[in-house]
Amino acid sequence: MRKEIESVCILGGGTAGWMTAAALSHKFHGLPLSIRLIESEEIGTVGVGEATLPHIRSFNNTLNIDEATLMKETEATFKLGIEFCNWGRIGDRYLHPFGDFGPNVNGVPFYHFWLRLRALGDTSRLDEYSLPVMLAESTRFKFPDTDYSKIESTFRYAYQLDAGRYARFLRAYSERNGVVRTEGKVVETTLHPETGFVESVKLDRGEVVRADLFVDCSGFRGVLIEQALKAGYEDWSCWLPSNSAMAVACEGRGPLTPFTRATARKSGWQWRIPLQHRVGNGFVYCNDFVSDDEVAEVLLSNLEGPPLTTPKQLRFKTGRRRYFWYKNVVAIGLSSGFLEPLESTSIHLIQEGITELIQLFPTKEFHPADIDEYNRRMGLNFERVRDFILLHYVANQRDDGEMWLHYQNMKLPDSLQEKIAAWMTRGLIIKYEFGVFLPPSWISVLLGQNLFPRGYDRRADAAPEQMLVKNAADIRNEVRAAVRKTPDHRTFLSQIGAASGTAPLVAGGA
Amino acid sequence: MNTAGPPVERIAVCGGGLAGHLTTATLASQLPPSFQIAWIDAPSSPDSDVFYGSLTAPSAYTFNLEAGVSEPELLLSTNTAFSWGTKFVHWGGEHKSWIQCFHLPFPIVGGVLFHHYLKRFGVDELEPYLVSAAAANRGVFAHPLQDGPPILSRAEYAYQFDPFSYREAFAASPHMRRVQRIEGHLEGVERDERGIAALRLSDGRLHTADLYVDCTGTQARLLSHLCDTFAGNRRLCAASNHRATDRLGAPHRTLTGAEFGWQAETPLQRGTARLTVFAPESQTDALRAHGEAPQRSTEATIGSRAAAWVGNCVGIGHSAWVIEPVTHAPMLLLHRDIERLLSLIPFSTQMDFEGREFNRQSSEDYVHAAIFNRALFETPPFADTPYWRAAREEAVHEKLTQKLVQFDHRGVLVTFDLEPFNQEDWTILHYGMGRRPSRHDRVADRAPEAELRNSLANMKRNIENLVKQMPSHHDYMARLLGYLAQNRS
Repeated sequence: MRKEIESVCILGGGTAGWMTAAALSHKFHGLPLSIRLIESEEIGTVGVGEATLPHIRSFNNTLNIDEATLMKETEATFKLGIEFCNWGRIGDRYLHPFGDFGPNVNGVPFYHFWLRLRALGDTSRLDEYSLPVMLAESTRFKFPDTDYSKIESTFRYAYQLDAGRYARFLRAYSERNGVVRTEGKVVETTLHPETGFVESVKLDRGEVVRADLFVDCSGFRGVLIEQALKAGYEDWSCWLPSNSAMAVACEGRGPLTPFTRATARKSGWQWRIPLQHRVGNGFVYCNDFVSDDEVAEVLLSNLEGPPLTTPKQLRFKTGRRRYFWYKNVVAIGLSSGFLEPLESTSIHLIQEGITELIQLFPTKEFHPADIDEYNRRMGLNFERVRDFILLHYVANQRDDGEMWLHYQNMKLPDSLQEKIAAWMTRGLIIKYEFGVFLPPSWISVLLGQNLFPRGYDRRADAAPEQMLVKNAADIRNEVRAAVRKTPDHRTFLSQIGAASGTAPLVAGGA
Repeated sequence: MNTAGPPVERIAVCGGGLAGHLTTATLASQLPPSFQIAWIDAPSSPDSDVFYGSLTAPSAYTFNLEAGVSEPELLLSTNTAFSWGTKFVHWGGEHKSWIQCFHLPFPIVGGVLFHHYLKRFGVDELEPYLVSAAAANRGVFAHPLQDGPPILSRAEYAYQFDPFSYREAFAASPHMRRVQRIEGHLEGVERDERGIAALRLSDGRLHTADLYVDCTGTQARLLSHLCDTFAGNRRLCAASNHRATDRLGAPHRTLTGAEFGWQAETPLQRGTARLTVFAPESQTDALRAHGEAPQRSTEATIGSRAAAWVGNCVGIGHSAWVIEPVTHAPMLLLHRDIERLLSLIPFSTQMDFEGREFNRQSSEDYVHAAIFNRALFETPPFADTPYWRAAREEAVHEKLTQKLVQFDHRGVLVTFDLEPFNQEDWTILHYGMGRRPSRHDRVADRAPEAELRNSLANMKRNIENLVKQMPSHHDYMARLLGYLAQNRS
């Protein structure tokens, strides 16, 4: 006799809580599963993570959320990738796009041919073979074509959005779907005396909430997974020492860019996330290398317009929960771990946590095989994101200051060490299938940050030089032609009905 | 370019069997003109090629093109036929039979995999919903085309082949003209600190190269000097015969389980191949079942060498591993070995990195292929005979345990990076072996029952109707060959 889970309690609102509520309430709609979400207006949410990855679109599509409606409500802009400034050397810039660089030829990735061209003296940038990069540089955007034979199909896209509003949008969605929201803070957790499972939580106003399954979206504190169940935390600060962020919104200036920017500085990096009505900025750093005051100074003096808020300070510890799923508690969001938002992965890891939970949704028996498989999959996800973020910090020529030197002298995780060695030896990417950053992403960062391999795939030498030069020129022309036929980003937003219509925010209120 | 050590420009491939042909043709087709490729025969053509079996993977089509062999050339110049897969008979749970067919991903409804709906409705058999299985059962074939019937486009096909005929298409590839065919054959090797210093030929001459590729089969005439550790102690024998037939048989091979091992009948153009694989202790019974005196008779140890690439020598195919041709694992691994080699052709004689990376990928592939084969031996009843005992002797790999446990528990397909066998292969295998999930994904309960039952019934009926209209394998091949012969310029 199957003992189906009858009740789920999600602790915490914010993006993690409401994404979970929305997804579960949609997936199990019509089935006997009650979903309750407990959040407190008093406990603010972090609310800094505002750029996303293309996977978010399938999340929204599954929930039948209309894109234009969502974009209007969340002041969203389109995102083709992330522009990295000053990461290789000061003065460098490159864009990590959602797309590949040129077509494979006989199973050999195009970048090998580009490396050959470069060795022959060709000065074309790898970027010129990437439609999303060239679109981003020209501030243009339109939807990718669904005909895979066309160059206009060779990219994906995501959004820059107000995460707080996204959470509120999903709250409305979830409540329409039957999720019950309870205002309150947990003051006590009761565990089953034998199994150690969470039986119930008691709220500040006295209510006791019972559930079969608890999803801990309570943020860094991990009220259930850590405070109650003591699952443990794997500290990754030996690899990613950043422990602080300072965030501030400012007025937007200039054209509406369809990309996020991450600028490396002496002791950290600064993000710029453009929304329709304002720009989000932040500085990620380790307060061992630089003081909070100095960071505030650098951040505020590097805004394109007047600040709209006072800088908000956050502390965090980079790492992962030892067990993402422990007994009858699944940690999703900041309670599951933290990796700095250099590649917009925070919301993505929430989505992965939810997707895997649905795929491995338990019964009341809480079969260990399900829990182990969930932890295995999420562990791989976290580790692979960690390595990719760390790549940015170590694959460069910066040695100015304590922070950069710290990275230069660091002992890297074996997994990353091997990948860099393979690349440097012969431009080989050691592949994996399961993980959000596939070979084109690695290539983008490695070449963007000037790590040129000593050699390239020898098959790339097979074609006669003339043919190679001509094919390459054809691709570049095709890309340029496709860019010319693409409208301006802001214009396109309006055209598809995604423009919010709110006036841009102005400092001092309006 | 890398300047650590003299450049690699000369490659020597040893071995005139299937691996030697495929490797040389691919190198000749893909490498820049600056490479000199020499091809040297071993003293005898290895009958052990029989252990490559009689079924390729669907990826053979693309692999062959990269080796300079088109499908028309393959069909016109060899006795190769089309294949939907293997029909297992008297195997697995309750000794049932099923078609281990090739198929693209099954329909996903509401984000839930297809087989969960079968479980929900108590539908025990997957096969009626697989167009390639239906076509195989009916003995019909047609190419799945993008603009053809959508149902058929979900099917994938591969080739049924005979290793000794198949390889001729590669010998005939136009790229082979650049290959230097060395007179005589390999007599021995000279060694030095790099690995192989030179090949000693039968006429006394020495042949030197920068990279040596060992395609000499289980004898591993080069690699065995550099790495003689072979992990595996299960010995298998094989007997094979070819008999002429008037009509081309079904587009699937039939593999029948027996106490001594198994027997596969593979229809080819102009004939049928019979392969009997057995434990040495059961030779009498096996040869009686084989029926006639074997045209080819061979033995091999199932397992893998500790390192495929040592120094300046890399083993491709049986010189590095032997895997039982009870599935298409041998050809899958052979293709992947060759593709891997092409992606790791060294720049210079300093090739430590390439060797390590090749070995890392190759051992992972071997493990993943071995667990797929092993999954054929993990559901009772098992005969208590030498063959079956030996097949089950080695401890089950952790990865296979996870896969079996999770499929049994809830129909989840635990999957690892870059596995050669895909989720459809595994699902079809589980069902064929009589393994069923204990419960289905709860989300599958959401879909409206009547509508979904209807869909399933329609799917089944559409497949049945489609295959009734398809031509027999024999007729399709005859027409196709006629057309190809006419259009050959």
